[in-house]
Amino acid sequence: MKKNRLSDSIWVFGDYRNYFQNRVTLQLIAKGKELAKELDKQLIAVVLGDQVHQYAMEYVAHGADVVVAGEDPGLMEYQVDTYTAVLARWVEAFKPQILLAGATSFGREFFPRLAKRLHTGLSADCVALDVEKDTGLLVQTTPSFGGELLAEVVTPDHKPQMATVHPGIFRELPHDPDAFGCIIYPEIGPLPEIRVKRMRTRPQQTHDIRLEDAAVVVAGGIGLGSKELFGMLSELADLLGGDVGATRPAVYAGWAEEERLLGQTGKNVRPKLLISVGTSGALQYTTGIQGAETIIAINRDPNAPFFKIADLGLVGDAVTVLPLLLDALRKRV
Amino acid sequence: MIRYQESTISAYHNYLVNDTLTPGFSVGDPDSQEGFFFLADMVQSGEPAPRISARILDDHGVPLVELSENEIRKNSGGCIRQPPSGGESLILLFSGAPLLEVNTRSFANGYLTIIKAKLFDENGELRMESQGKSIRVYGDANLTLCTPFASSHKSSPPK
Amino acid sequence: MEIVVCIKQVPDVPTVRMDRERMTIIREGVESVINPLDYIALEAALELRQKAGGHVCIITMGPVQSEVALREALAVGADQAILLTDPDFAGADTLATSHVLARAIQKIEPFPDLILCGMQTTDSDTGHVGPQIAEELGLPQVCGVNEIHREGKFLVVKRLSDGFVDTVKVTLPTLLTVTKGLCPVRDLPLGALEAAFSTKDVLEWNMTDLDLKKEEVGFAGSATQVRRLRTPPPRGSGDIIEGPPDVLVGHLLRRLEALSILDEEDEKK
Repeated sequence: MKKNRLSDSIWVFGDYRNYFQNRVTLQLIAKGKELAKELDKQLIAVVLGDQVHQYAMEYVAHGADVVVAGEDPGLMEYQVDTYTAVLARWVEAFKPQILLAGATSFGREFFPRLAKRLHTGLSADCVALDVEKDTGLLVQTTPSFGGELLAEVVTPDHKPQMATVHPGIFRELPHDPDAFGCIIYPEIGPLPEIRVKRMRTRPQQTHDIRLEDAAVVVAGGIGLGSKELFGMLSELADLLGGDVGATRPAVYAGWAEEERLLGQTGKNVRPKLLISVGTSGALQYTTGIQGAETIIAINRDPNAPFFKIADLGLVGDAVTVLPLLLDALRKRV
Repeated sequence: MIRYQESTISAYHNYLVNDTLTPGFSVGDPDSQEGFFFLADMVQSGEPAPRISARILDDHGVPLVELSENEIRKNSGGCIRQPPSGGESLILLFSGAPLLEVNTRSFANGYLTIIKAKLFDENGELRMESQGKSIRVYGDANLTLCTPFASSHKSSPPK
Repeated sequence: MEIVVCIKQVPDVPTVRMDRERMTIIREGVESVINPLDYIALEAALELRQKAGGHVCIITMGPVQSEVALREALAVGADQAILLTDPDFAGADTLATSHVLARAIQKIEPFPDLILCGMQTTDSDTGHVGPQIAEELGLPQVCGVNEIHREGKFLVVKRLSDGFVDTVKVTLPTLLTVTKGLCPVRDLPLGALEAAFSTKDVLEWNMTDLDLKKEEVGFAGSATQVRRLRTPPPRGSGDIIEGPPDVLVGHLLRRLEALSILDEEDEKK
């Protein structure tokens, strides 16, 4: 009975750094629970660290049936070597069917190593997950060629089926303070020596925040007409908790740094929301942003091709619309 | 196979017992008229603080003090309740030394209570003892209470 | 310092077109380039060699055409290039690819102090191969590095990770994956590529050379399978609103509320 609960289940790696801003673990718990129900299995959140009680409780409140916890001062730092050792040991003992993590920097560094040690498959930065009821296979949809193509990947003969998942794709369950769950503390076992010693850690300055991770991206194109107007996008992004991107012509015009360039020669972003202002819709640019969940476009020209891929298109002049929008938001946020 | 410890946890409030989270626990028999017991009752969401009831004896089995839902009822040992200084703590002193300390840490969405004590039963046997951050319990105990004891035990007495 | 740089030849993204009927990449007319982040790894290796001495060896796994990428790396200044090629290597996922690369690195003498990879490739974009080579070789790894300093037997490296700038000290030998900002990519000197074709050799190792079995490599050695490729569903064009600015802003605010980016406006107090 005890064995059943842990084996064959769906596990989600609890990445709690930057909690509460980083919600990807909660999003995966919600999605994993949905998949677990289809397979009649349990959703298990795994959390490693020193003093992880709070996160164990959060995961239960957000839908985890079981939390598997490793409490040890040696796990306080997120270290690929130690985390791989512990999780590999537990996976071999409890044999989950599916193992998921958010595609955070750490998730994308940790899971490949873990998958290799477990000699199983891993897909990267998935944007959709489904299970096949009859085979129990996890269908992992992952973007390639910068989002031009979606590949449906399966891991037919190896267990667990592993995937990292793009943040912001799935919706978390509401916090339920009356929820109960089960917590399990397996033996941690010996930890490997630390070969990557952390010397300093500082929060990123705003200028080196990864545009790729922003939930909201405000992008500007040459249609804005002036550096001053482009500058307003920063405030708009700040008010919405997002970051600013730019098209190639806007970067050439010197309105934005090269790091903010979106598109084929720049960055690919998949934010929850993209607001694109004064961008005509060159393919060069749109391939870098078409993974956005929602696209809102503001453009003077009602025939701008960009409107074709927008979920909401506003035909208007940024000169008048932007200041009005900023005014309204300042009062609300 | 890997050995593991298992417990139920609440999303709202837990105690740390034997290095494990649990919504509530009891040591000894909370219905006994004379013997040692310790009841850390389950806290329902919205409730502000944990409720501790206990009959505490010294290491020779002599009764010192009785607590009912955090309030002192009998106090043959002349224990002193120290006014809480750091938030939600309950501190009981006996002969000037701490006898029981209940400390609740609040998280963004929940609470964790840590108990510090060294408690004996009527036979002078050690039943509860702090160890690291957790309290360790010995002997007859119910380590997971998932409903408030006060409401549940009348219909079905604890085993 | 002995450095191995793993590179991959990828289609030049701006030239890639999809055959939307057959759901495949149109290979014709697609130019191949060294994966941009691998190029940065190569430049970083050359810079480290300049300071610390040693050699830079480039390896790639791919079809015979990948030799061009190795020639280019030699032209930029690499000392040695090895092409891992075998018909049975085809169809490899990252598990099988990292196995072949790790096996090849073990065969290189002396064993390198440092292995560099680009953090991701522009085609499949997994970022798995670096950490998986490190795992197979039992080496420490640091991913997403944008600054490298040598301090005796250690490297002190900087990387961005989930909102933090980490400075870490790692023991050698080690594997690093590198990202933008590490060092500028220089233009190829005129005539260097031609020279690299005529003067330098590219070693070629196949499955037998690496003492590998068919079931360990390529499609057979892969744990994942691509079931099908599809293009993202076309974005239906949504509502297009024309009107005075305040009406437009109103529409935008309501959409932000619907997306829970903005709290719903309070009822009248």
